[in-house]
Amino acid sequence: MRTLVLIVALMLVVSAGSKLSGQPTGLEIGNKAPEIRLPTTRGDTISLSSQKGKMVLIDFWGTWCAPCVEEQADLARLYKKFKKANPVKGRGFEIYGVSLDAKKPNWENFIIKNRISWIQVSDLKFWRSPVAKTYKIEGLPFNVLVDSQGIILAKNLHGTLLEEEIVKHFSK
Amino acid sequence: MKTKFLTFFLFAFTVSLLVTKPFFSQGQNDPWTPQQLLAPADLAKVLNNPKSPQPIVYSIGMQAIVKGSIDIGPTMRAENLNTLKQKLNKLPKNSQIVVYCGCCPFSRCPNVRPAMELLKSMQFTNYKLLNLPQNIKTDWIDKGYPMSE
Repeated sequence: MRTLVLIVALMLVVSAGSKLSGQPTGLEIGNKAPEIRLPTTRGDTISLSSQKGKMVLIDFWGTWCAPCVEEQADLARLYKKFKKANPVKGRGFEIYGVSLDAKKPNWENFIIKNRISWIQVSDLKFWRSPVAKTYKIEGLPFNVLVDSQGIILAKNLHGTLLEEEIVKHFSK
Repeated sequence: MKTKFLTFFLFAFTVSLLVTKPFFSQGQNDPWTPQQLLAPADLAKVLNNPKSPQPIVYSIGMQAIVKGSIDIGPTMRAENLNTLKQKLNKLPKNSQIVVYCGCCPFSRCPNVRPAMELLKSMQFTNYKLLNLPQNIKTDWIDKGYPMSE
């Protein structure tokens, strides 16, 4: 009985939450991207929602994934280009890198060696990471572009297509 | 003159075919036969049945996810391949062995080939590659097959 009450209460809270934000949480374009709360290499947690106000590219990758590693140089270029885009409106661009690495040294060394300056988080659980399940990731690289309110703008775009999509939403 | 040119052209064409062939036929040159691919469902069945003879399962990728498997580490690295070699050295050639990585599809996985080539060169007779065509998540975890703690 107590469990039932708790479940109902939880459902009410969840539904109220989604009403407040106006968009249901999900993985479709137009949905609110599911929250991610994971530690950085230093151990402090950075949540996806803490980046509200910025356009965010959630980049799922791993040092063991060759195409992901290849893509990091391009992400560095995009980050440099858009990081301070539209500062007047209080907007900006952030990359929230979620690594599916299993071992911390691999992940940390790659970040240091390649001087990655955007947010990097990981639970170091490889394919067992709950976030892989939440985001229904079937393979890497995978990414999700969200707007300043955390609403999904695009999924799994790379290269020129990704850049065009960012430009498109910044120029709105 | 014309014949000479044609001969040269044909020669160049043949050479270019020979050179590029390995890139096109990568899938066919894999160091395993289709019979050596072990279906995840079959391994899961064996692992779930303690009465059936258990194979020695080596994780040759990032993490030992399959229940009871031994973590070797990515065999793309020489030191890990060497670890595997040392373990294999102690086993009879007819041991039932299964290796898996599951990071990426086989075409992109840097670990499965070195391990399978090693088993072949060491003349093992009863080894298999766990068939994870997509990755360990899609083809093992999501199916609810047994996992390590």
